[in-house]
Amino acid sequence: MSPVIPMGPFHPALEEPYKIDVVCEGERVIDASIRVGFNFRAIEWLAERKNYSQDIALFERVCGICSNVHTLSLSRAIEQLSGTEVPERAQYIRVIVAEAERLHSHLLWAGIACELIGFETLFMACFSLREKIMDLLEGISGNRVNYAMNRPGGVSRDILDPAAVLAAVRAVSEATSKQLIPVLTTDPTVRARCAGVGILTREEAIAYGTVGPTARASGLAQDIRKSAPYEAYGKIDFNVPTSDGCDVFARVVVRALEIVESCRIIQQAIEMMPAGPFQGDEFPSVPEGETTVRIEGPRGEVFYYIASDGTDIPVRVRVRTPTFANMPTARLMVLGQGLSDVGLIQASIDPCYSCTDR
Amino acid sequence: MNAETIFAALKPQAVPELRFDGYWATVPDLDVRAMAESMLASGVRLVTLTAMPETSGGYRIMYHWDADGALLHVVTTVMTGSIPTIADILPAADWVEREIRDYYALEFEGRAETPTLMLQETDEPGLFSRTAVVGKDLDPAQTARDAANREGESR
Repeated sequence: MSPVIPMGPFHPALEEPYKIDVVCEGERVIDASIRVGFNFRAIEWLAERKNYSQDIALFERVCGICSNVHTLSLSRAIEQLSGTEVPERAQYIRVIVAEAERLHSHLLWAGIACELIGFETLFMACFSLREKIMDLLEGISGNRVNYAMNRPGGVSRDILDPAAVLAAVRAVSEATSKQLIPVLTTDPTVRARCAGVGILTREEAIAYGTVGPTARASGLAQDIRKSAPYEAYGKIDFNVPTSDGCDVFARVVVRALEIVESCRIIQQAIEMMPAGPFQGDEFPSVPEGETTVRIEGPRGEVFYYIASDGTDIPVRVRVRTPTFANMPTARLMVLGQGLSDVGLIQASIDPCYSCTDR
Repeated sequence: MNAETIFAALKPQAVPELRFDGYWATVPDLDVRAMAESMLASGVRLVTLTAMPETSGGYRIMYHWDADGALLHVVTTVMTGSIPTIADILPAADWVEREIRDYYALEFEGRAETPTLMLQETDEPGLFSRTAVVGKDLDPAQTARDAANREGESR
């Protein structure tokens, strides 16, 4: 009988709880099952019992890394239902904060991946770079994690020191281009640990509804910022990195290239951002209706469905986070792989269980 | 493939309404399995499903799709408490079908098994529908305290 090796809920790669049971033949994985729900908080249930203003604060807490995309999604849904216009300056500020969030999320992931690969020096370099972005976000919003920047009709705070934003982003872009990407793409240790490991084919990515960098590393050029631009993304020039590698190495490269693209987006947004108001006067009242919103978060497409009966409390708030779509593919990725690669493979999805469980 | 063609391939055919968040069509007797096969063959990605209780007692099930960046929403109503699964055709539906069962006790016919996703293995499905009668104006903190105080309540 093949041994079943349980990993988790406290597992070797990340600090959030989930469980993967791997069935092995020798060192080779022949099957796996995934269990989530350890962070279940019934946030959708709670949302149907709080008013929209309270829900903004509630959904900021869906995730500790990509909190901004959740308030942005909910704010946009309220704006769509109520017909609220967002000032142009606020649209650019939303882009800047969203991309800064992507930067710190990708740098966090790159650091963890380097540690799992066994590259401690690069882990330190990634976290040092990430700290610049965390300082930047704290400077803009006053907070390092839950920024509380989005509100229906605009943003809570203006960007008062654009030069500081440009300086931080320039430093991250240069270090990523000159240090991080060359090492990640040419170092034999990284290649040996990542190339040909954790395969997810293009067809499998479509059938599983995979999103974000995980999908783009399987050759799917899908990015909501391009396919359905929101805020100021339609006015900004940027590329969507993809790879046909379909392995952990491809996911590493795609995310590293996305760091550079995010820096480009922020630089352009700072230069193009017009003067003017950055928020509306009042919290809009939401009429009866329903709408959906999609945002490209650091891990991929975030989907919201909101139904309103015209009161200040939503009838239904449905959230589909990117890890919810991506995590089931981990079972495919680990099949046939060595047991020692399971930690790195599941981490290559950049999973977030706080998001998944809500 | 454009949205009209995709909706025309549904059984029964549907004429979508274009809204600012994509194409919407309500199809009362929707063949969900034929839809899933058609979407898979067309390379259309399943974004997710949304279930919502109806005041009539049934459930509104929304299938959200992405066709080259365009959102398509196919809506049907379930009055019997069950609807055929599409998870064997599209694995993308597996987790969300399990989650909907967790929340509303809706069954997806044809699945070999439907383990809980968010709930514990010993929990009864239908967490949201069991607690739906409390009303919107109830203090959720009080509800959580009540649940914690009830014997045998695991969460």
